[in-house]
Amino acid sequence: MSGTVSVAITKRFPGFTLDVSWEAEQSVLGLFGPSGAGKTLTLQCLSGLLEPDAGRVVVDDRVLFDAEAGVDLPPQRRQIGYVFQGYALFPHLSVVDNIGFGLRDRPRAEARRRAAEVIARMGLEGLEDRRPHELSGGQRQRVALGRALAPDPALLLLDEPLSALDATLRQSLRDDLRRILAEWRTAAVLVTHDFTEAYRLGDRIVVYEAGRVIQSAPRAELLWQPASETVARIMGVPNILHGTVIKATPDRIQLRWRGQMLEAVNSPTRSYLPPPEAPLAFFIRPEYVRLIRKDRGAADPHHHMNLMHGVVVADEDFGTTWMLRIRLDEPGAPAQGDYDLEVEVPHLVYEILEIDRDRRWEFSIHRGSIHVLPA
Amino acid sequence: MDSFPVWLSLRVALSATALTLLTGVPTAWLLARKRFPGRNALEAVVVLPLVLPPTVLGYYLLVVIGYRGPIGRALAAIGLELAFTPAAAVLAACVGSIALVIKSAQAGFETVDGQLEQAARTLGRSEWGVFWSVTLPLAWRSVLAGTVLAFCRALGEFGITLMVAGNIPGRTQTLPLAIYDRVQANQMGEANALALVAVGIVVVLLFGLSRLARLRY
Repeated sequence: MSGTVSVAITKRFPGFTLDVSWEAEQSVLGLFGPSGAGKTLTLQCLSGLLEPDAGRVVVDDRVLFDAEAGVDLPPQRRQIGYVFQGYALFPHLSVVDNIGFGLRDRPRAEARRRAAEVIARMGLEGLEDRRPHELSGGQRQRVALGRALAPDPALLLLDEPLSALDATLRQSLRDDLRRILAEWRTAAVLVTHDFTEAYRLGDRIVVYEAGRVIQSAPRAELLWQPASETVARIMGVPNILHGTVIKATPDRIQLRWRGQMLEAVNSPTRSYLPPPEAPLAFFIRPEYVRLIRKDRGAADPHHHMNLMHGVVVADEDFGTTWMLRIRLDEPGAPAQGDYDLEVEVPHLVYEILEIDRDRRWEFSIHRGSIHVLPA
Repeated sequence: MDSFPVWLSLRVALSATALTLLTGVPTAWLLARKRFPGRNALEAVVVLPLVLPPTVLGYYLLVVIGYRGPIGRALAAIGLELAFTPAAAVLAACVGSIALVIKSAQAGFETVDGQLEQAARTLGRSEWGVFWSVTLPLAWRSVLAGTVLAFCRALGEFGITLMVAGNIPGRTQTLPLAIYDRVQANQMGEANALALVAVGIVVVLLFGLSRLARLRY
């Protein structure tokens, strides 16, 4: 397996500056962020289709671009495979000619053998003579991947590889793509504005906003410890709330929110210690809020921490789960419009507890499920 | 019927079309794909032959290639003469028709998705390779349409040819000039026959073009 990538580039446009730096090793890296954050521009700079104003791009100890040293390899010599958004398959060429397009420098027999091998590995046998417009969305994706992988690139770039597909196909093709990337063991950089996609496909995720990197972390760390409220918002995390610090220690933070005293786990690695009375952002994952059963007696405050009372003001059926919107029994304006918390419960729980009838609930949140967002 | 003007016109139109393709297609590609100083000026100059009166074009061309013009003098220095030769007729047909090739090919190149060319580059193809393997195969219909139109225009070229190549029977008298001559001399039968030949050639070409354009890639 190859593929250590080190990127540090600046590119100025009127009204927008891309200024990013990150590194990746032997894995799939997800470039995640809203549209217009500079993700695709980064891929273009990596592939040599766009020249940065300053910086360095190094792949596997090969310097592809170095503004100071005056190095700028053309795309033809970078050995980087690029899967474009919408795939950019050659409409006038058959599947086999598309896949063999990057093999022209090889002896004819070898090029033909390699194209056949790629077609077999991509499960495209029998479609060799089809034109792109005669293929399904999933087949097109595999042709695009095969075409980029056939010359055995040092690095594979994928720009929103699933955005050309309709919603029903996206999920199964995402898993397809994940399997192919794992099988080929080629280092890859994947651009997406969909966090689920970044999380499912990337081992490490770099979060972009407005041309800058705002967090770079292994995917699990990003999921549980977004570096800031901005990152959490871009990730689409629900229940981002604002409270006031009561007391912060390296492993606990006590805070006040909507008349409640909440206790959250601090992250010792981050050692974030805001002073008392400082405003504090935090989030609560909807699937980690526990409703307390009424048939098991009163809740035990020692067992159930962060106890609260509230009423379900709205609920929505998501198929396998229900999303409840709960308003606390507290005076004052609710935190999120007409409710304070989103709570997710499995269908079975919704039915057993008869939540459709019974709207008033007591619930608790483990301190480990309240995530503090450093300012 | 004197068939000399027919063969001369075919030879002139074919040579002019070849010359037009050689110079017009690269120009069209430049205009479609590159940003450079003077691009707007070039874009304007390219359509001039379509809008200026042919006699005006012919006049300026004669000024340049005539025995007192810069090119005429340079050629004379090495013992060559251009004005009032069949070569001048080729040049005239070229000037009259090149805009059709350039505009048509440029429009064709512009409809080719630039991302396909980018993809070809990341797959190792040189600029030359990108043109032959992606750009041209995707735009050939427009290039061909422009070429056929340019050939027909070259075949019918009158004003510029008259100015720079003259109307020398058996030497530079092309089909349109011959028809004009016959009408002037009141030889309506001859004029009629020549005109029918011209119509025939053009109809066959346009019919062939419409058949080709229906092919897929």
